[in-house]
Amino acid sequence: MSNAELFRQAAERGDTPLLPGERLWGFWEFTYANSALAIATWAFLIGGATAAFVGPREGIAAIIIGNILGVLLVALPTCLPSGKYGVEQFTLLRSTFGRNGSRLVYALAVVLLTLGWLAVLGMMFGRSVDGMITLLKTGEAVTEPANGVLVSLLAAAAIVVTGLVVARGPTSIKFFNMIMSPALVLLMLVMLWLILDQHTFGDLLGLPPLAAPTDDKRLNFMIAVEVNMAAGFSWWPYLGNLARLSKNQRTSFWPNIVGVFGAASLGEIVGMLGAAAMGNADPTIWMTTIGGLGIGIVALGFIAFANVTSMINILYTSVVGLRQLAGPVLGRLSWDWLVAAFCVVPIVVVFAAPGIYDGFFIFLVWTSALNATLAGIGMADYFVLRRQHISLRAVFASPERSPFAYWGGFNPIALTALFAGSAVYVLVFNPQTLAAGPGFTLLSASMPAFVAAAFVQWAGTQLFGSRRFGDYGERIPAEPLAVVEPVVDPAVQ
Amino acid sequence: MQTTTDREREQDLELRLRAYERLADQPYWPGAMTALDYWLVLAMTLALVIGFYVWGV
Repeated sequence: MSNAELFRQAAERGDTPLLPGERLWGFWEFTYANSALAIATWAFLIGGATAAFVGPREGIAAIIIGNILGVLLVALPTCLPSGKYGVEQFTLLRSTFGRNGSRLVYALAVVLLTLGWLAVLGMMFGRSVDGMITLLKTGEAVTEPANGVLVSLLAAAAIVVTGLVVARGPTSIKFFNMIMSPALVLLMLVMLWLILDQHTFGDLLGLPPLAAPTDDKRLNFMIAVEVNMAAGFSWWPYLGNLARLSKNQRTSFWPNIVGVFGAASLGEIVGMLGAAAMGNADPTIWMTTIGGLGIGIVALGFIAFANVTSMINILYTSVVGLRQLAGPVLGRLSWDWLVAAFCVVPIVVVFAAPGIYDGFFIFLVWTSALNATLAGIGMADYFVLRRQHISLRAVFASPERSPFAYWGGFNPIALTALFAGSAVYVLVFNPQTLAAGPGFTLLSASMPAFVAAAFVQWAGTQLFGSRRFGDYGERIPAEPLAVVEPVVDPAVQ
Repeated sequence: MQTTTDREREQDLELRLRAYERLADQPYWPGAMTALDYWLVLAMTLALVIGFYVWGV
């Protein structure tokens, strides 16, 4: 392989900026990729959780409101800079948090989140296949959650298959998404048709919540909105790294509205209606009862494969980030070994703590305390403070020459904003107990956290930011200097 | 000590950085979001939030 090809491949994998002509995805391809990511079975899980808090009418409203706000406020500060510059999301984040601060954010937002979701989706794959086996053997639907060794083995197998596909790089992911995404949308519409075949839409809208947490309907509604906003904000670690593969800025943004918002909302509404109609929030259970043996098997097969598609997208974007931020030791590992390293912990988790599947909901809301805050910091930094210009030369300069060196590689202003936003979130809404503080019923928790973090980032940078401390202020034409930092050796592939 | 590959890699990165600096110096960035995009997304978001709140609650 020539050096030119190696360098292009290194750019594709996130070591250097991808040039516009090298990018893979147009509008529809990115829409397919986003749909495949969004229409995953976590949408059914979130829909099921929504059905527990509110009835279907309020649930549909909560899903739409929560998702559009979450997805929009995530796509703006992540997809637009990545789509403009073709730079890996966490490499670009050096401008906001500093080199080490970006690593810290990656560890908090991506490693934990990805490991958790890989385990949850792997377990869901396991339960789906386990349900299919039970249906085939006995002709009877599963009615109780199962966490046996077989489910864990199947979950581990799904994680291994995911790793194998991701190890082949983005071209194989593109191929996978192009086939799976339309099929998944079609199958989801079939699910909706099956539900509506058994109940009228009017009847469904009148169903009560499965397990309303309080007697206050407005509070229950806002908890449902918050859960869906958390789902929307949970795209923060992933969207930027997918967007950098799209051909330009507009192509990096609008597919999120069609793909992530549209597909996730559709999946969650189907999940909510199914849960409400069948009286069980777990889709691996209600889908087996919706249409008899044949349809149950097809439905569970759909869940299983939809999970693998989403796991592939998550793992790809996470490994791209890990590759940039891991430091010299992990940075010298080949792509294949990094993928394998990422799969180890989820495999351990599905054997050691299979209950993570049933507790996904608390895990999801906790992540919003972080993701809503990160989105707020990004909005203030990219749109207001930098006026949509980031110096790539400073991003890739060696640490001692870069204005993004900050203090030891950490930007104290952004870290203060991160702490402030997360603290506001937990004060307004406790994700562990669902206890709501002042203002929650009107404002949710994610929005105050978003605004607080954005304000602290803006005010702190106004006070302390400068050309040398963060490259803030009037833009100066770039010098052709540059002591650029050695990046990961593409020969070590 | 830098190898030939290291030097070529630095040159590759330099070329990529210059390509984006040239784009930044142009009056229009190809495929950039326009004011119309931002207004559209704002209008759509407000319509969805207000519309579904009124319908659902």
